[in-house]
Amino acid sequence: MDAATRAGIDRSLRHPVMYLLTSGAAWLVVSVLLAITASIKTHCPTFLEDCGFVSFGRVFPAHINTLVYGWGFPTALGVMIWLMARTTGQKCRAGGTILTATLMWNVGVALGTLGILCGFGTGMPWMEFPRFAWPVLLIAYVAIVVWSFIQFRVREPGRDYVAQWYFLAAMVWFPWISVTANTLVHCVPGHPVMAAGINAWFKSGVIFLFFVPVALGAAYYLGSKLTGRAIPSLTLARLGFWSLAVVAPWAGMQKLAGAPIPVFLPYVGAAATLLLSVPLVIAVVNVLRTIFSSEEKLPSCPALKFTLSGLVAALLLAAVAVLFNLPGSSLWKVQFSLAGYGFDILAVYGVFGFLMFASAYFIVPRLTNREWLCPRMVRIHYFFSVYGIGAIAVGALIGGYVHGSAAEAWMQPWEYVVNELRPFAAVSTFAWSVILFANVFFLIHLVLMWSGLDKVIAARKTDGETTDAEPAAH
Amino acid sequence: MSLRNFILGLAASFGAAWLFGVVVPFVKMRNLAPIALNKELDGAEGFFYPKRGGRVSNGSRVYGENGCYVCHTQLVRPTYAGQDLHRPDMGGLQNDPERGDTRRETNAYDFEGEKFAHIGAARIGPDLSNVGRRYEAAVTLKGEGTVEGEFYAHLYDPRRNPVAGNAVCPSHKFLFDEVEVKGQRPKDALPFGGSETTALVPGPDAKALVSYLMSLKKDQPAPASLNFPFADDKKPAAK
Repeated sequence: MDAATRAGIDRSLRHPVMYLLTSGAAWLVVSVLLAITASIKTHCPTFLEDCGFVSFGRVFPAHINTLVYGWGFPTALGVMIWLMARTTGQKCRAGGTILTATLMWNVGVALGTLGILCGFGTGMPWMEFPRFAWPVLLIAYVAIVVWSFIQFRVREPGRDYVAQWYFLAAMVWFPWISVTANTLVHCVPGHPVMAAGINAWFKSGVIFLFFVPVALGAAYYLGSKLTGRAIPSLTLARLGFWSLAVVAPWAGMQKLAGAPIPVFLPYVGAAATLLLSVPLVIAVVNVLRTIFSSEEKLPSCPALKFTLSGLVAALLLAAVAVLFNLPGSSLWKVQFSLAGYGFDILAVYGVFGFLMFASAYFIVPRLTNREWLCPRMVRIHYFFSVYGIGAIAVGALIGGYVHGSAAEAWMQPWEYVVNELRPFAAVSTFAWSVILFANVFFLIHLVLMWSGLDKVIAARKTDGETTDAEPAAH
Repeated sequence: MSLRNFILGLAASFGAAWLFGVVVPFVKMRNLAPIALNKELDGAEGFFYPKRGGRVSNGSRVYGENGCYVCHTQLVRPTYAGQDLHRPDMGGLQNDPERGDTRRETNAYDFEGEKFAHIGAARIGPDLSNVGRRYEAAVTLKGEGTVEGEFYAHLYDPRRNPVAGNAVCPSHKFLFDEVEVKGQRPKDALPFGGSETTALVPGPDAKALVSYLMSLKKDQPAPASLNFPFADDKKPAAK
């Protein structure tokens, strides 16, 4: 593909992808602000207690839903439609539709979040938006991804990438789980405990059938693009992908171990989650082999740093999936503990988030046709993200084990559990504050890049000869 | 790989789990077979009919809207899946004045009347499967007040009870209204708060929620075929 074609593709997607990424980053800041509010309330319950809008039971779901639907999905969609266009060598011919659909998605998320805060949430984890929201989001979603299928269908022969499998699969899986879960829970009368089981399956599906495949697809693409090398083993890549496809749809219902649903469901769920470590490890090993097969020393760039950190997070996620799902010893201990939150945040911000930031650092300069304005802002974003996610994931996972063990110590009164939890609540507040700091810089940077204001600033800096700008990597 | 084969592969791998792990169990659980009572063990004949009073449907909605499930669970797991039955009064009263040990695990009929079972995400606070029964027992022991009154006081200020002084449960003051008192105080007014001319009364959502919380008690004897944890001697002999 020649440079002119590449530039044409980038031009056709410039505004849709920048809108998806920037609005996602803005939602991330909102979500982290809500997380900080919720987290303060877990150790200082009188904080803003007179206001119903920000009651803990509303702020916490609002935080999770803005994280997943406000930031996660638009970011994933932005990265996917760009990579699908680039890897198939096709221009995007529906920029206007994608922009409109993104606006529709964001309006849906905003109304849904307001709905939760005003007390109209459904009370189903990760599906808390009031009922009107899911069809709106689904229509917007389809209007954004359908063009990638067309591009894939009409691609020139030979333009095959491992990343495409993961992206196309994620694009198919999400509507399937969303329609199934929402229909069975909202539209068809069923048993209330099975509704809770389907909700747990949906949540696991969003993680392992959407966020994880998008992250792994991006990792495969970046791993070979940043080093200019092919993936060492296509067989291994194929095995990793299909093992994810076969195992992940069974995961999720281990949340209901011991509940009155058919007994095999929670244990199949635990076994599947445990086995999900296999596709995770396979993908990480394959991408790391690609990166380290490069003989010359790789120039340090933000995309590479974020990719490597995301891969480390994926290994950690694989380890936790095994350690916390052993039905004989750990599953029932951590089932209703902080560990669930730790696992979600590790998967969403650690694995998915880091690989999306890596992709953004790779994509945005190509889309906007300019270098990143300020390497220092990138460094701040990287280090504070690593410290923040490290503190939350490690704090919530260790805290989860401590919490679960305390709750299972049935001779102790409940105050014992509350006291054991308190230090981890404080760690969480601190960690989210650090992540807020990191992402405010990321958001500002994205806005500057998209709006072109960076040119004005750079020109002023050059005039005053105060510039210390290094040539930005990527 | 062609797009067609790829989609077929996805349909097969996802479809199997979707069908056998979600759709079939969902359909099966929609119509649970009625449980026949055993005369010898249950002391009655006919079929088990789960009973539950109160504003279950409305209260369950308010419970979800205000995120109680983030910190409270409603699940008493069997002994092979956790220690829940051992924790005092979590699975039922251990020393019920009339019936002795009434502890039992959660069964599929306990969520009668609810659209969604609030199994819950984490146990930051205690499990609520039998919170109605616990409050009743506590009020009986204290010899004063009402169960509703205790629940309203908890919702208004969870740290008011000195036993739970370090609780991190949020206050739900916003579910209460301050009304002017002309003559007699309203029947359900909180015994604290307000001023000389006003009183705090629960709003409609608080009333529905408390009615629901009071319905959280597994005090209807479950048929022996559903109730096995501490009743090995009562189990029907294997045939």
